[in-house]
Amino acid sequence: MDEGDMKGEVYPFGIVGMANKGDCLQKGESIKFQLCVLGQNAQTMAYNITPLRRATVECVKDQFGFINYEVGDSKKLFFHVKEVQDGIELQAGEEVEFSGHTSPWCGPTEATQKHAQNSGGEGCVGVRRRRRGGGGGGAVSTATRAQLGQLCRAGSAGAEALASGGAAGTERPERPERPGPLQDETLGVASVPSQWRGVQGIRGETKSCQTASIATAEASAQTRKHADAEVQTEAPEPVSLPSVPQYDGPRLAAFLRRVEAMVTRELNKNWQSHAFDGFEVNWSEQQQTVTCLHTLGYPPAQGQGLHVTGVSWSTTGSVVACAYGRLDDGDWSTLKSFVCAWNLDRRGLNPQQPSAVVEAPSAVMCLAFHPTQPSHVAGGLYNGEVLVWDMSHPEDPLLWRTGLTDDTHTDPVYQVVWLPGPQHGHRFQVLSVAADGKVLLWLAVGAGRLQLSAGFALAVQQLPRSTKLKKPPRGETEVGATAVAFSSFDPSLFVLGTEGGFPLKCSLAAEEPALTRMPSSVPLRAPAQFTFSPHGGPVYSVSCSPFHRNLFLSAGTDGHVHLYSMLQAQPLTSLQLSHKYLFAVRWSPVRPLVFAAASGEGDVQLFDLQKSSQKPTVSIKQTQDESPVYCLEFNHQQTQLLAAGDAKGMVKVWQLSSEFTEQGPRETEDLDQLAAEVAT
Amino acid sequence: MAEVEETLKRIQSHKGVIGTMVVNAEGIPIRTTLDNSTTVQYAGLLHQLTVKAKSTVRDIDPQNDLTFLRIRSKKHEIMVAPDKEYLLIVIQNPCE
Repeated sequence: MDEGDMKGEVYPFGIVGMANKGDCLQKGESIKFQLCVLGQNAQTMAYNITPLRRATVECVKDQFGFINYEVGDSKKLFFHVKEVQDGIELQAGEEVEFSGHTSPWCGPTEATQKHAQNSGGEGCVGVRRRRRGGGGGGAVSTATRAQLGQLCRAGSAGAEALASGGAAGTERPERPERPGPLQDETLGVASVPSQWRGVQGIRGETKSCQTASIATAEASAQTRKHADAEVQTEAPEPVSLPSVPQYDGPRLAAFLRRVEAMVTRELNKNWQSHAFDGFEVNWSEQQQTVTCLHTLGYPPAQGQGLHVTGVSWSTTGSVVACAYGRLDDGDWSTLKSFVCAWNLDRRGLNPQQPSAVVEAPSAVMCLAFHPTQPSHVAGGLYNGEVLVWDMSHPEDPLLWRTGLTDDTHTDPVYQVVWLPGPQHGHRFQVLSVAADGKVLLWLAVGAGRLQLSAGFALAVQQLPRSTKLKKPPRGETEVGATAVAFSSFDPSLFVLGTEGGFPLKCSLAAEEPALTRMPSSVPLRAPAQFTFSPHGGPVYSVSCSPFHRNLFLSAGTDGHVHLYSMLQAQPLTSLQLSHKYLFAVRWSPVRPLVFAAASGEGDVQLFDLQKSSQKPTVSIKQTQDESPVYCLEFNHQQTQLLAAGDAKGMVKVWQLSSEFTEQGPRETEDLDQLAAEVAT
Repeated sequence: MAEVEETLKRIQSHKGVIGTMVVNAEGIPIRTTLDNSTTVQYAGLLHQLTVKAKSTVRDIDPQNDLTFLRIRSKKHEIMVAPDKEYLLIVIQNPCE
């Protein structure tokens, strides 16, 4: 485009005359230019040409706005309000004239304020209202609407419309707020069509698919003969002593007279006889050592680095279940964890593949099998929930859950225990113990929910003052509970282990309301009746003796096991088993003087109080690298089995030697003797 | 009757005796010092055992008869004095 025609006055212009060489001019386009006189041939030429465009304002938002103008591939031109001439506030829909250049540095065209071009070469767009009629200086040719600028740029006040002082970078008197020498200007968009790339349209292909037709066949069957049978249970005969049958009094007396002498003689002989001293009969094969029967693990859980936090035997004694979680997490964890069960009596037992796996939404901290239903398991989670699963339904195992309501625990649940239901029926309830100091009893109501039926809360002010305890830090009123054990002789009596290191004797029948601010749908009661003398650290496990009503064991982080009697606050004996923490302690179900403890050094230690009261009889090394053993349980049906879970995610089932499974003749008496050593 | 009670009390007070009971010929307990369920268990089982022992002795020698039955176990000793109509069962924990 070397020549341009204009109606009215005609001025030639060349490409050098374009203010922005990137601009393309069309015939008939309105432009804005200045005139200059070339020195060489005194020809007046158009100079500093910028296309003048007009469009409507699309919208104005505070400091900037958009002009509806199609340029390049953007439909709107951006402008800043300070580019508007005279500071007029524009409204959407107004028609404006603007001159635009594309800034070589910014993509879309920016409309910038301009009356005269900057010598900087950056494009700018001056926005002004389209003037109706004349006004504002300069001869405006109506046909062309071009504005004539000054002859030279060293501006003196001339044409009013064009900026005064159009030299590059000088300040504009009418716009004091205009920024300094460096201004952004945008030039108009020059579009260069691509030669090699075509329009990127949407390519589509239609495809369809269809399943193959389903093959069906019909077959019929019919029974040939049938037989009817009925079955009915009979009411069980009550086991009770029938009424004393009629007996002949004198004949009974005569009989007794006859036999009394003989019986007395035998009784006395027995008492003095040494005939059977040291005589022992072995009915079963003697096991001399402790052996590891099974090493069970679940590789996906071990891959996540999960620990075995709880282990439990089913009521039949043939299934062992373990819970995976982490015991050393300091803060809220949302990692998924597992509950796995292995059936040890099944043929083809694969130690790495549990017979049932259940996923839990949060780390499972403890586990307990139902006392009569072989497949129901209750577990306590890190987020305070208590869940009950049915391991025989792998596709939908969750039976009941507490959900996250006001009633649920706000801290990890450390132990769950099944208790007989309140109405002596076949229903059981779940007792959960957590670090927020609450002991809650849950009953299963319909629709898969566990509802709170009774609850207890421990508060520091309500602890019985039978022992001198350290003053708790100010503001702390809750006593976190970490372990629970029920007495086998008195079903309402239980022992709680606490974070403060002192066991508490508690009762389910306590009446006193608890001083706690925690909301609850059922009024919480204070259960503690007696405080025992504390350990050096939190108590992680308690266990009540199945053979003596007053004895229980507690193990804590100070590495000591204390044997307490319910009757006094000081422990009867205190044994140091480990230099690290002790995580679990359990009485043996068959031998009154034997208990097992799981230590943080990776050992399972078996203690026989008859043999030695100072050091363990057998110390089983469970882990090779001294990672701790977190839990252990005796099998009450197959009494030679002991399961222990450790930090490497393995559950090892140990077969104990016969000395641990067969009761000696006078053990119960020895235990009584031990318990009778109550210091006066 | 007073005499029956006295005799039983005397036997019960011997050293080491845990329990005493009298069972009739059908195996139904008549007098006992133990609790219900234990008594019923002992009575039923020992009655059957006594019948078997008696028939064993008679089979070996028809002129012989059972006079006394003692069962010694790890924990205690059970003594049974049989008769035509009744059985006296005494459980003792002998000294070791």
